[in-house]
Amino acid sequence: METIVNDFTFNIATANGTGSQSSNIILLQSMFEMGVPVSGKNLFPSNISGLPTWYIIRVSDEGYQAPGDRTHIQVLMNKATWDNDIASLESGTVVIYNSDVKLPVERDDLILYPIPMTTIARGLNPKLARMIANMVYVGVIAELIGLDDSILDSAVNKQFNGKAKAIELNSNAITLGREYVVEHFEQICPFALEPREQNPESFIIDGNEAVALGSLFGGVTMLSWYPITPSTSIAEAIISHLPKLRSDDDGKLTCAVIQSEDELAAAGMVVGAGWAGGRAMTCTSGPGISLMSEFVGLAYFSEVPGVIWDVNRVGPSTGLPTRTQQGDLSMLYEVGHGDTKHLVLIPGTIEECFEFAWRAFDLAERYQTIVFGFSDLDLGMNPWICSGFDYPEKMDRGKVLHTQDDIDAIENYGRYRDVDGDGICYRTLPGSGLEPILYRGTGHDEDAVYSENPEVYVANMARLKRKIDGARTVLPQPILREEPEMQVGIIYYGSMENTIQEIDDILEATGLKVSQCRLRSLPISPVVEEFVANHEQIIVLEVNRDGQLYGILRKELPIDLVPRVHSVAFSDGLPPRARKYSDMIREKLLEVMS
Amino acid sequence: MKLNIIDLPKDDYKGGPSSLCPGCGHDQISNVVINAAWENGIQPDRIAKMSGIGCSSKTPAYFLGKSHGFNTLHGRMPAVTTGANVTNKDLHYIAVSGDGDTASIGIGQFIHAIRRNINMVYIIENNGVYGLTKGQYSATVEIGSKKRKAEANESPPIDLCAMAINLGCTFVARSFSGSKKQLTSLMKAAISHRGTAVIDVISPCVTFSNNDESFRSYGYVKDNQSELHAYDYIPTFQPIAEVEVPEGEFKDITLFDGSTLRLETIGGDHNPSDAVAALSQIHQAEHEQRHVTGLLYYNPEPKTLDEMLELSDTPLAELTNEQLRPSEADLESLLAEFRA
Repeated sequence: METIVNDFTFNIATANGTGSQSSNIILLQSMFEMGVPVSGKNLFPSNISGLPTWYIIRVSDEGYQAPGDRTHIQVLMNKATWDNDIASLESGTVVIYNSDVKLPVERDDLILYPIPMTTIARGLNPKLARMIANMVYVGVIAELIGLDDSILDSAVNKQFNGKAKAIELNSNAITLGREYVVEHFEQICPFALEPREQNPESFIIDGNEAVALGSLFGGVTMLSWYPITPSTSIAEAIISHLPKLRSDDDGKLTCAVIQSEDELAAAGMVVGAGWAGGRAMTCTSGPGISLMSEFVGLAYFSEVPGVIWDVNRVGPSTGLPTRTQQGDLSMLYEVGHGDTKHLVLIPGTIEECFEFAWRAFDLAERYQTIVFGFSDLDLGMNPWICSGFDYPEKMDRGKVLHTQDDIDAIENYGRYRDVDGDGICYRTLPGSGLEPILYRGTGHDEDAVYSENPEVYVANMARLKRKIDGARTVLPQPILREEPEMQVGIIYYGSMENTIQEIDDILEATGLKVSQCRLRSLPISPVVEEFVANHEQIIVLEVNRDGQLYGILRKELPIDLVPRVHSVAFSDGLPPRARKYSDMIREKLLEVMS
Repeated sequence: MKLNIIDLPKDDYKGGPSSLCPGCGHDQISNVVINAAWENGIQPDRIAKMSGIGCSSKTPAYFLGKSHGFNTLHGRMPAVTTGANVTNKDLHYIAVSGDGDTASIGIGQFIHAIRRNINMVYIIENNGVYGLTKGQYSATVEIGSKKRKAEANESPPIDLCAMAINLGCTFVARSFSGSKKQLTSLMKAAISHRGTAVIDVISPCVTFSNNDESFRSYGYVKDNQSELHAYDYIPTFQPIAEVEVPEGEFKDITLFDGSTLRLETIGGDHNPSDAVAALSQIHQAEHEQRHVTGLLYYNPEPKTLDEMLELSDTPLAELTNEQLRPSEADLESLLAEFRA
């Protein structure tokens, strides 16, 4: 049998709360240190301990980061999912299982490695046997696929933060796992790792930490937040980096962090801080956005800057709290009652998570409105390989008047008078001693005085629309990869970036060459209209049920372009797998082109 | 023209004309805010006036026209004030709310503002009814109290002062919009306090519940008010030695800014540092269908939110871009750490 090198997928089935996350991170980190492109997906339950969890590690010389369409190496530790996990395996899969579980593996087309992991672990530390057993499989895998010993050691060291006792115990478990394989199995594992040259600039980080760092470098002055999966780790990362990055010369902080009583209050604090001249943000997920909607409307209408990160999880309602989706896009674009439109930044990579996080503050202050950052659980909570972050561009604090001379230079100054013609007006800040304003969510005229006058209302709403529309060419523009054929174009966004190359390769293998347009912000750039006009058929690819971006495009594209635009939307809670979406794209094209 | 200690006329503290019903208790409270700020000599542009939604929350348009303000959302004034407060901790936050705003839709935010001890004056203009929607009972109205054209209320009231005391609020007072002298002294003291100062002001609704069977009508409150003390507020710029010493017993409280609130005993001898006694006063009065007014509770010790957060001495809103953004070297060393 031929050995397959650097192109296989692990599925590690464990129970939540048994320490398997450490084992899996050690595996991932070690392969990464060998220079092999890897990605990890944690499919975890909404639970502290006991429910099933799977960890998928994709090893791919091609750099594919999607979970992969089949499992090549299955680790079985969990009784509860045992039978289903086995039933789903393709012939020839390597199965490493804890034989102490005493459940059968009744298939003769699999390559089996029964290992008494609990027994081995008990020999090391009876009390911690359940956790140590998970480290035994690390040793087994290391031996089977050829993970370098010293690299593994340093990954263990990193994971346990140099704590000598933990390192010794876990290293011993790994060694015993290795030794068991050597002593008991003669069969050759058909999958092997080969080292590659590692980019010395690269490291592993998740999207939420990248957003946190981008925010800190963006000069955030207040974070208000309410814990919710999968956004919590943004707040936690800000808190952990805050003392080092944002202490002044007296050791005092230049950013306030407030854990709020709910998302209503979190959004209210953002609006209050933005009004007072701060750079304020909150981070949440869909259920939080639902609660924040009244404040988003207030900020839109009274024109107060603020940043809200939505790390999308599966809705509707409480939904699947620990699974991923792109289901909040249309809500973010129009959240709030009445006519509203908001700026939405949509990072597709770790580097963009950092960049859009600092940029969001500049845009919020420039446009005096809420800017949403739109991430998702896959991008936010899973580990990604990152090559580094670029230092932000010069800070833009927007149209703020600082002196009486500033005001005098404007003829007939009014808070909501559009002197520049771009719909963006000048503001003064509380405490500045300049032109006081009573902000309100009620109708107001150009001087911020209460008004129910129909003409005043119409003019104000038209200006707000002009202001937001003006951002279409300023926000991060789409990234195009166009094929000379210009026949089929795919419009997609967000974390789909990490699956698109594999989708493209699968389509190309069937003879279909597609152009790509990755949308990076809302409202939509005019570049998208051009892209649509330049292609005969357009697929809008997204991870939701209804085709939310497709809906926005149908509404905003010129009517004659609409018939060529088609939706391919699917969401089952898992990170997008290439085969599923490429099949759907082909079916859709067959349907519309026949 | 009469000028205050910082040479400003009273007009500099006034606002636009009120659109509330003639005789509304809220307008009297607005006048008290104007007088308190003017007489205390606070720079108008160092005040931020905040409110929620309702009749009461309209009033920031009617006072302190030279101060920035934010008429926010129903029940959400505390959150907005919290965000503003940590962003510019050096401003005086004078916030107005109503009983619908605070005791119903925004009761959670009221609770958490107190819990965080936001440095603000939290005025509740409490009339027991929803005025703008035409007079529905609110959650603070007493059992047995009856507004015009309705049956008497049967649901137990939420006493916001009792609640505030239980939550550890650092300054809790109850007053009456018709007791101008008492309310003015308490308002000045509240502005001089560091921390959340709640003043629950009984403010009759002349349109929907100023009938004699309403426990919050002018007539009823006048006849059934028990004042804890008589108050004299002595500002920092007035040497206390020059103030005439009262004949009876009195107690001086020194406030955060150095001013003094002098409590002269009238009836019993309520000690505002005794939370249990304050609650007892409230419950006794409720039992007897009276209103107890005055400084119920005072505790200057707890830290405010901005102190707990150990924020930079310069208000965050005034920091330069360079102070807000870590350096390029910071980014490099962070990345080096990640790559190690």
